[in-house]
Amino acid sequence: MADRMHASPMRRIWTIAFREFRHTVITKGFIFGALVMPVVMFAAIAAIGMLIGMQMTPVAGTLVVIDESGTVAAFAAEELTPEQVAKDMQEALKRNSALKGWPGSDVTQQATASLPSIDVKVESVQDATRVDELRAKVQDGSLLGLAIVSPELLNANPKDAEGNDLTYTLIVPTRSAPRLTGMLEKSIAKAIVKARVQRVGTDYTSLQALLTLPETSVRRMSTEGAEADENAIAKTLLPMGFMMLLWIATFTSGQYLLTTTIEEKASKVMEVLLSAVSPMELLCGKIVGYAMVSAVMLGMYGALGIAGLSAAAMGDLVSPGMLILMLVYFVMAYAFVSTMMASVGSAVNDLREAQSLVTPAMLILMLPIMLWLPISEQPNGWIATISSFIPPAIPFVMVLRVTASNEQIDTWQVVLSLVWGFAWVGAFIWGGAKIFRVGVLMQGKPPSPRELLKWIRMA
Amino acid sequence: MTTSAVNLRAVWKRFGKTEAVRGIDLDVPDGSLTGFIGPNGAGKSTTIRMIMSIIHPDEGSVQVLGADAISAKDRIGYLPEERGLYRRMRVMEFLKFMATLKGLPAAGLDARVNAWLERVQLTDASKKRCQELSKGQQQKVQFIASVIHDPELIILDEPFSGLDPVNARLINRLIRDLHDAGRTIIFSTHVMHQAEQLCDRIVLINRGEKILDASMTEIHARFDPRTVQVEPSSHNPADASRLGALPGVERAQWNPERHAAELTIARDVDPQDVMRAAIALMPVRTVELRKTTLDDVFVELVGEAMPSSEESGNG
Repeated sequence: MADRMHASPMRRIWTIAFREFRHTVITKGFIFGALVMPVVMFAAIAAIGMLIGMQMTPVAGTLVVIDESGTVAAFAAEELTPEQVAKDMQEALKRNSALKGWPGSDVTQQATASLPSIDVKVESVQDATRVDELRAKVQDGSLLGLAIVSPELLNANPKDAEGNDLTYTLIVPTRSAPRLTGMLEKSIAKAIVKARVQRVGTDYTSLQALLTLPETSVRRMSTEGAEADENAIAKTLLPMGFMMLLWIATFTSGQYLLTTTIEEKASKVMEVLLSAVSPMELLCGKIVGYAMVSAVMLGMYGALGIAGLSAAAMGDLVSPGMLILMLVYFVMAYAFVSTMMASVGSAVNDLREAQSLVTPAMLILMLPIMLWLPISEQPNGWIATISSFIPPAIPFVMVLRVTASNEQIDTWQVVLSLVWGFAWVGAFIWGGAKIFRVGVLMQGKPPSPRELLKWIRMA
Repeated sequence: MTTSAVNLRAVWKRFGKTEAVRGIDLDVPDGSLTGFIGPNGAGKSTTIRMIMSIIHPDEGSVQVLGADAISAKDRIGYLPEERGLYRRMRVMEFLKFMATLKGLPAAGLDARVNAWLERVQLTDASKKRCQELSKGQQQKVQFIASVIHDPELIILDEPFSGLDPVNARLINRLIRDLHDAGRTIIFSTHVMHQAEQLCDRIVLINRGEKILDASMTEIHARFDPRTVQVEPSSHNPADASRLGALPGVERAQWNPERHAAELTIARDVDPQDVMRAAIALMPVRTVELRKTTLDDVFVELVGEAMPSSEESGNG
């Protein structure tokens, strides 16, 4: 007889787990999909930006402004200097509320760095009869554009007889790039306003300063009286980021678990395995194996995320307590998803059949994604509170709630969600194991949800 | 005293309304080479799966190697009817994985796998992925997987299906070697001559019931030959009806391939008397009392009309 050791259940489980881990992580598919693909995507985005920059052709030429007063052209020339165009762009980017809180200067600097070189000469024509001659020049491309400004536009109240806003005309060659046209359009409009302000005898810079909207500094006051900075990003995007991290880490592994179980069943390797291990050992081995895959993904993307936050000086948004809770909810989420996927995989013959069985649970699991905005904005609201007790969505909703920095979640709610959630995990594992035990040897027609319940009772 | 490697008592298994196994009692003696025979859907594979504790009986008890089936798993080798390999795993890796699951220590595994690959003439395959192998080669890899841990009890469900004659002979020799080395072997098939050639004991299962459980010697004694084959010198088919008129002959049939008449003899008649009467009746080239084959026994017990398969995939 061979020098046989006693293969303990733990050894069998570990052998299966290690095989699953090795054959998932150390594969071209995983390395490409989980590691290379995100890098390629980031590189592609950067490359597209660079290509756009490289494609920029210098803006050089003459813009003619037909204006009887002769004042608009001088202001347009001021607006069309490279410095002023860059300044306008930076201000526009800073005004974008979605970018508040991020390292804004970097973004605006990058954006203005991609501007083409600008050398625009602005010529003033006060004789309106030259329109046709100048139109022809635009047509043959010898002018960048022709702006026709009526004298009424410089009035203090520039309206027509019906009270409508007056317009000016900008004529550009057919091949003019939309970005250049937009730049000319804005510059001339601003020049008209400056000319109008000058005509009524007011200083434009002082007027602009008077009309500038002040920046807001929102301070959120807790019920205990403490004040904290309001951070729109932390309030909305961070919980979503954490939840998506949990989602990706658990569902990627869950998908692997589903497909490999179906494959093992289809290739008949299942019966060979079951001659060596019990269905429960097989299920545990698979779940542990893919838990390691999931942990690799969570660790990898999680570390990248935290590194990104630290680089943006926002590392303080993530507390150690938050990370510990995140890990606990990860275990819960993975247990829900993996048990579900393994039991469905064991009961069906192909992915198409699996889809119809997984759909009802997936609808529940989509809940946190659909409700992320109301939950992260009001983590103690009734929507958040109720949905955080619906299995198997519990861990995903709770991660949204605990990472929303604007409100503290009551400790009793966190504890209750853990107790309630893990009780459900136990029920899922119990039922899933029973389905798995019956399903792995079943062939033919896939079971209906009612038949699955019957399997749970009979196994 | 002979001990039993496998012991089944009043075992029942139902799948919905189908009774796949109906109250089977069975003892497989230690060191025997027992053939499970029966038509498709008879309940052979279901019985085997219960012995392997892959499925559990609804009623009755199953004891394997003196213990319950689950705790004896490491001491059993099993080649299932439906073959399965991890397609992308390499042969060496797959066999080491199976051996580890069966409790073999990591040390010396490579040498053990290589030795087995050499025995089945697959030395070049160790680094190949399973999906790169031919069907016959895959079957040999599966055979190794079932015996690599040197089990005391080996269960082979249709081990020759899909094998060419050369490989079938190779596996046949390996099964004999394992039997000679003292292993208990259960061998399931619906091909009678394979069972007759290999087994020293036969269990015939039909419609979920055991209808025969005896050694080959007992079978030959119990199913004494009832067919006398007479080859007349004339090779004239008309001689069959003359021979059919002999006392004690129930039926006479001409076999054109052998140019001989096959006489079925009544139960209470001595075949020797019929053979003497045939020689006296006409000049003959050969007279032979045909040995009872397992085919004959099978047809006698199960009948010509096979039941339709009731459980898909289960024999």
